[in-house]
Amino acid sequence: MEEQKSGRHGGEFFSSRWALIIATIGIAVGTGNIWRFSRIVAQNGGGSFLIPWVIFLLIWSVPLIIAEFAIGKSTRFGPVGAIAKTGGKRFAWMGAFIVFVSTAIMFYYSVVTGWCLRYFFSAISGNLFNTKDQLVYWNEFSSSLQPLVFHFVAMAFVAFIIYRGVTKGIEKVTKFMVPSLLGILIILFIRAVTLPGAIDGIKYFFTPDLSTILDYKVWLNALTQNAWDTGAGWGLILTYAIYMKKKEDISLNAALIGFGNNSVSLLAGITIFSTVFALSSVDAMQQISQAGPANTGLTFIYLPQLFAKISSSYVINVFFASIFFIALFFAAVTSLMSMVELSTRTLIDFGLKRQKAIIIVAVVGFVLGVPSAINLDFFANQDWVWGVGLILSGAFISFSIIRYGVDKFRTEIINGYGSDVKIGKWFNFVISILIPIQVVVLIAWWLISSVSWDPQWWNPFHSLNTGTVLFQWIIVLAALIFLNKTMVKLIFEREEP
Amino acid sequence: MNIFTIITAVIVLGIVWGGVTFFLSRAMKYEKLKEENGQK
Repeated sequence: MEEQKSGRHGGEFFSSRWALIIATIGIAVGTGNIWRFSRIVAQNGGGSFLIPWVIFLLIWSVPLIIAEFAIGKSTRFGPVGAIAKTGGKRFAWMGAFIVFVSTAIMFYYSVVTGWCLRYFFSAISGNLFNTKDQLVYWNEFSSSLQPLVFHFVAMAFVAFIIYRGVTKGIEKVTKFMVPSLLGILIILFIRAVTLPGAIDGIKYFFTPDLSTILDYKVWLNALTQNAWDTGAGWGLILTYAIYMKKKEDISLNAALIGFGNNSVSLLAGITIFSTVFALSSVDAMQQISQAGPANTGLTFIYLPQLFAKISSSYVINVFFASIFFIALFFAAVTSLMSMVELSTRTLIDFGLKRQKAIIIVAVVGFVLGVPSAINLDFFANQDWVWGVGLILSGAFISFSIIRYGVDKFRTEIINGYGSDVKIGKWFNFVISILIPIQVVVLIAWWLISSVSWDPQWWNPFHSLNTGTVLFQWIIVLAALIFLNKTMVKLIFEREEP
Repeated sequence: MNIFTIITAVIVLGIVWGGVTFFLSRAMKYEKLKEENGQK
């Protein structure tokens, strides 16, 4: 069946199932799979964390990826129009919140993408190994204007890709970057597990600490990590699904993406644990657990020290450091692309032409990313506020399906035309019961635990507490609820003259 | 190696890497079927 050449997808589609899967894997696999996952495993008892992490893949990530694919494919709108069409026009603001959260993350994610590019240049030029103290090297870099320059380069590069469109831009770039990223990770994995002493890292990675396996924090961190690294509930997969052909399957593709994403996390986790345990002369666990904004401690300070020890050959060390940072850059770019496309798509739904929308997104994205590029405290605040906001985004997707009718959604949309595999009634239970429970428990935990570490939990001007989260959420939610009618009018009055 | 370590590794790798292999082979099978039925 020939697809229509007109419509909200603009006549553009991913050319095949594999192109769609590769692009969506590109969304899911980001820098979080490589650095955040290892840190969270280390902080939560190794193997004890992995069991709940696998369970939440099944009851959070895969169902929400299925939901996003189905909503995007059936409505052919970005999140605002899609949620309005699925859950009712009164709830368009929920879609707008999903867009706002992913866009707010885009502002500082572009900065992270720039860091990765800068460190790739440092590695390949050999500069990274010409310094004795990596902490000083990082501090000099992060306090200079260089993060700003690389943030600009990252945003401009990604905007150019999105400007080229779905087939010539997103598909072409992901077809190169995603397989390259996987290839590089496999090379690093083989090198890491063959280092003398790597087995100690693998043992730690898989050994469950039986005293922590029933600790609620371990379970909640496992859920948070799944929400983070699969991209489920962000609205990004929903946006790419606008460009999937009608004959394409939903559920099998969604499962492949969820499991594929977590496979990459395992690959990266084993690689990092093996490397750190094999080459570390100090406490390996302390190094892996080290956080810092965007996990800078492990990635930009400690790993460069280890790359210098990977062999006695300077050239080989430069090679491994370079491919590691280019892999990080590819992971970041393919995720950043989807965030830029989501914002662009939303403006297109509001009536703007694609080219004009991309220019606005790129300029605003650069300008509002500047505070994160020059101030790591601001960066950490935004990472905290909108990172938690993602859980609310997942809840809104679930809510819109409940409003539509979960069984109707499953039988008519997910199991409708094009489906290779039919989804059973378990999906109804997960969307209408399990996901709302997970959202309530998770948000309550985030808020309660942040109260315990800041006595002034209500103060909105502290960077990492409850007050700042609630303050920023309430302002954004109030504004979006106020603008609900305007957004609906902009989207649907053109659609339904 | 501790028996719990081996059990955890088998469960985690079996489900995640086993799952991705299973879903990949199913997707390839359906794509092949569609090609044979002339839907491509």
